Amino acid sequence: MNPNAIVQAEQVTKIYDDGAVPVQALRGVSLTIEPGEFTVIAGPSGSGKTTLLNLLGALDVPTDGRVFFEGQDLAMLSRRERARLRLYKIGFVFQAYNLIPVLTALENVEFVLLLQGVPERERRRRALEVLEQLGIGELAHKRPHEMSGGQQQRVAVARAVVSRPRLVLADEPTANLDSTTGVRLLDLMEQLNREQGVTFVFSSHDPQVIERGRRLLWLRDGRIEREERK
Amino acid sequence: MRFRSVIGLARVAWRNLWRNRRRTLIVLSSVVVGVFVLVLFDTLNTGMVEQMLDNQLRLHIGHVQIHRRGYHANPVVERFFRNADALRQQVAAAPEVRAVAPRVLVHGLLSSAYNNGGVQLVGVAPEAESLVTFIAEQLVAGRYLAAEDPEVLIGERLARKLEVRLGDRVVAMAARPDGQIGSEVFRVVGLFRTVSADFDRTMAFIPIDRARAMLGLPPDAAHELVVLLDDVRQADALKTRLQAGLPDTLEVLTYRDVVPLLVMQRDLYAEMMYLIYLIIGVALIFGIINAMLMAVMERLPEFGVLRALGMSEGRLFLLVSLESLLIGLLGTAIGWALSLPVYAYLARYGLDLAVFSEALAAFGVGSVIYPRLTLRIVWNAWLTIPLVAWLGALYPAWRALHVEPIEAMRAV
Repeated sequence: MNPNAIVQAEQVTKIYDDGAVPVQALRGVSLTIEPGEFTVIAGPSGSGKTTLLNLLGALDVPTDGRVFFEGQDLAMLSRRERARLRLYKIGFVFQAYNLIPVLTALENVEFVLLLQGVPERERRRRALEVLEQLGIGELAHKRPHEMSGGQQQRVAVARAVVSRPRLVLADEPTANLDSTTGVRLLDLMEQLNREQGVTFVFSSHDPQVIERGRRLLWLRDGRIEREERK
Repeated sequence: MRFRSVIGLARVAWRNLWRNRRRTLIVLSSVVVGVFVLVLFDTLNTGMVEQMLDNQLRLHIGHVQIHRRGYHANPVVERFFRNADALRQQVAAAPEVRAVAPRVLVHGLLSSAYNNGGVQLVGVAPEAESLVTFIAEQLVAGRYLAAEDPEVLIGERLARKLEVRLGDRVVAMAARPDGQIGSEVFRVVGLFRTVSADFDRTMAFIPIDRARAMLGLPPDAAHELVVLLDDVRQADALKTRLQAGLPDTLEVLTYRDVVPLLVMQRDLYAEMMYLIYLIIGVALIFGIINAMLMAVMERLPEFGVLRALGMSEGRLFLLVSLESLLIGLLGTAIGWALSLPVYAYLARYGLDLAVFSEALAAFGVGSVIYPRLTLRIVWNAWLTIPLVAWLGALYPAWRALHVEPIEAMRAV
């Protein structure tokens, strides 16, 4: 086992057996993510990108093989423990932003800190600080329906990084954005990676995202077809 | 779970309530109506049964009674006690006692020229009696008793039965302790009408000295000392104290001992109200379950996202149940706010149920009911309705817990 790894997958297989025909989404995938990486899991639709991201993010457990987060076997954790791991160690950026519609941008960013039990004044300060750093301080008191898709996704990034997680997983983060907005979002994430050492793992088939990845894992039919490092 | 987290989740829950304003308002309205009905029904019901008991206590029973031992179990004329005036002064010296009155009591017959009827003859010291009971205030014709003269006060209903009017004479007859029949002629000087039809048919008040003379009792004899307290809740304590200081030949009773059925009836009414709470609670809970279930099903993908972000099952459960609890608390507050002015109006002017006056008189209740707000009602309404709202959220919250984060990520 790699002692530096944040997350490590070993011969991971995932079979979805909830339909008429079992679907094998992953076939013996192994990979290691180390601190400071800016990795893109690329591949066509149905290649298993999201499934792999779900397993790395403790949202799901493999059918076979093991996933370790900071050396801890995720299969050994209860649902509650996995939720706690996600809360404190992992940030998520979803394709559809998934901000809480009744909360303002500031409150959305604060929400993770609220779940962590951070005192109100402290979480407000930290949330505002992150929004300012990401250049969207002026959106603090706007609700999601008052923001553009790009703005919402920036707020989602702020929410993902505000608790300083060990790993940020971004599932197709630019899929719903136009190319200009997508570029800006990627600039932002790259900046967070470079200046603050935030570790990012993307799943995407967007060439803009693939182009930025310093490490590329090409997935096809549930297997890592090739790996590139820049 | 830290308190600040609960407060933070309560804020989110509050915002969630107003996502679907119309649905929330409909559920809220049902809670408000439920609380409004409960508060008014319970206060009126409590007022009615308390009035019923109060009427009996202030009409005749008093708060505490002193008799010769055994009289209460078998009230025969020879079970009188002596030194009634001295005893009366002794009891009146207790600080919680407002007034004390002696009585001579005997079952007898009252006859007019046209008819007769069995009555309870009550020999009273007019002035003392007027301080203990409100019989003097219930006169609808004539005047109250004078201390010495052979006069009688009877109820309007008894007067009708005897076919007598003010100024007519009636003959009272009753068994004396020596086995003879004592009798005397009394002039009807006053007619009373109380809230109790039974009382008006069967009670006749005469001066105590005339009663003693008619029955051949010594001049300081009485069958009963009736005590009125400043606060009815002091009855038990006074009973204990008096009993310890009085001769063993006397027994001290509180109104609970004298009219246990009436007290039981009051308690039974209070318990029946729990059934009403249950019925209204059941009616409300289905509406709440329905609304909350719709709210949860619409937001399942969002709950999945919250789970993905690391929200524990406990917190998610809390979030959904807080939404319902807030509806319950808000509805209860509005329900109270609406019912209190109505209560205040009815407490001042009463609810006039004259159309049911005959039936109410049979129960010893006046035709005007005054609601009474008690701590029990405040407590019950504030506890029951929010609890029902919270219970209504249990199943929807349970459904919310079973969302899988990855399903939500696929669905959004």
